[in-house]
Amino acid sequence: MANAKGQSSDLAKQEQRLAYWLLAPTFIILLAIAIYPLISVFGYSFTNATFASNKPTEFVGLDNYRNLLSMTIVQVPPLIDEATGQIQVDAETGEVQYESSVRALPREPVRFRVVTDFSLFGNKYVLGATDPAFIRAVWDTIVFGVSTVFLELVLGMMVALIVNANFKGRGFMRALILVPWVIPTAVSSQIWEYMFQPNRTGFFNTVLWYLGMGSGEIPFLSDPTWQLPAMIVIDVWKTTPFMALLLLAGLQLIPADIYEAADVDGAGPVRSFFQLTLPLLKGTIAVALVFRTLDALRVFDLFQIVLGQARYSMASFTYYELIQNRAMGYSSASSIMIFLVLSIFAIGYMRSLGVKSDDH
Amino acid sequence: MTTKTKHRINRILLWALIIVMAIWMLFPFYWALNSSFKTEGQLAMTPATFIPRAPVTGDISFTLKNYESVFSNQAFLRAIVNSTIVAVSVTVLALAVGAFAGFALGKLRYRGKNSTLYIILAMTMFPQIAVLSGLYTVITTLGIPAIPSLILTYLLFSLPFTAWVLTAFFRELPTEIFQSAQVDGASPFQTFYMIMLPLTAPALVTTGLLAFIGAWNEYLFALTFTSIQPDARTLPVIIANFPSQATRQIPFGEIMAAGIVSSIPLFLLVFIFQRRIVAGLTAGAVKG
Repeated sequence: MANAKGQSSDLAKQEQRLAYWLLAPTFIILLAIAIYPLISVFGYSFTNATFASNKPTEFVGLDNYRNLLSMTIVQVPPLIDEATGQIQVDAETGEVQYESSVRALPREPVRFRVVTDFSLFGNKYVLGATDPAFIRAVWDTIVFGVSTVFLELVLGMMVALIVNANFKGRGFMRALILVPWVIPTAVSSQIWEYMFQPNRTGFFNTVLWYLGMGSGEIPFLSDPTWQLPAMIVIDVWKTTPFMALLLLAGLQLIPADIYEAADVDGAGPVRSFFQLTLPLLKGTIAVALVFRTLDALRVFDLFQIVLGQARYSMASFTYYELIQNRAMGYSSASSIMIFLVLSIFAIGYMRSLGVKSDDH
Repeated sequence: MTTKTKHRINRILLWALIIVMAIWMLFPFYWALNSSFKTEGQLAMTPATFIPRAPVTGDISFTLKNYESVFSNQAFLRAIVNSTIVAVSVTVLALAVGAFAGFALGKLRYRGKNSTLYIILAMTMFPQIAVLSGLYTVITTLGIPAIPSLILTYLLFSLPFTAWVLTAFFRELPTEIFQSAQVDGASPFQTFYMIMLPLTAPALVTTGLLAFIGAWNEYLFALTFTSIQPDARTLPVIIANFPSQATRQIPFGEIMAAGIVSSIPLFLLVFIFQRRIVAGLTAGAVKG
């Protein structure tokens, strides 16, 4: 008895040792290419290191983070007419005239620059930041992420329902919807950039012009109002298939007899979608949403290729700070901010879904 | 309305949706194909034509000039070789190393399993931009050339994903096979090598395909690491920053041709292995 027990615990030990040996290569590689670089980036974020140079590096404490994140909101005072002491009003429109926003922002000890103006309760305010480009990049990335993920969910659901239906050539259609997903982002970005040309050599301007809308010279990629919508359109085209596949996998787990029962009860297709399919897909949708959100928030290729330095995502901002400005310390701090934002999402995701480890 | 006509209307609606969907998915690719057969003069025509047409007469007229110049472009040809080397090496390495880890995570009992699973899952969502400067410093300090550093770096996303998907596949294999092999006197490693690995061949194909596609398409690291070593550039870097001759504007015709050429291997994979790719994508994401 004791002998057998000893033998089985020997086996368990052998199994454990084997497990560690098998895991070792993976963890050594991940340590070298992820953990160590991440720790060093964390270290650089407290310095004024210069990229690819021998310049001496100094410890600057939290300066990089302060510079990235400092924001302030200041009320912009109206202009006072020196002669009358009254608030100046535009003679034609009757609108109150304001001091310039830039001058309302503090300059000492560090200079704040304008991110945006807004009005509230009849007063004019200005949002200033020490680095407006970063604040705008964060805001644009969030707007981009939320809009693309929402649109992809709606369109992806339609695509999933279509390729889940029974028809001849379904396998072929399932392969066909993989085309946008599999095209390298570098290629699809160039294709779309060409389709968005600011004259009638571009597809969109041509079509809008044929339809009698627009001048045929809409500068989709250089006009700030069109830049983000264009990015969202491109990403929705490229990533809807991925969303559709995740949802399709969820749809296939729903047993068919549930629908047969609903059919007998006389529920139409629309009602059975909202009352049966959607609730049963809740888990799949949650997973798909978080995966896509994390992916969308780290968008780089699309922004860098199509917009360059005209408008940043968080990742392309970090890239240009590093490569263009050689500000290694500063771009490291921005890397760490991205890492923190995404980690919060990822941890929340794993907490809410739970990781199964021993279900065999 | 009889059920039969109702059924017929449903069919027509479904096919209408299928056609709209197919056009939406394929149109940008069609536009690229259309543009790749146009000369520079045809590309400058306004309004743009939906098939290549001669500027004055309006007759249909294709040119292969863009493909000819792409295939005589040394930088592009070298990029095909570079991309192939990188993607194949990453696939082989990720599978070899990831299969070990997947087997341990899916089938073996050991202490600390939960935390290792968490780490692997967390790594599949790792933001690559966060380690860009750190990794670049490491490889320049060690003096590793661009291509080996790209291969090593791509394991950052392909290895955790491979390990994670293979864990799910290994877990689903019946434990009895493993136990009976042990009773017969096979060591755990023999069991892994001679019994488990052949059984997971389909999973290896799936994860291998996805690792290949990921490495073939990667842009951020390729762009950064090859900035001082242009002869190591991969296809996405060449296509995004197409080497244009100084006198011309952006050579969109050639870019479209190059983009189509570099997407064709992926289209072939997708149409041959559609089922396997879908299985891998969904296993990686849904089986959390």
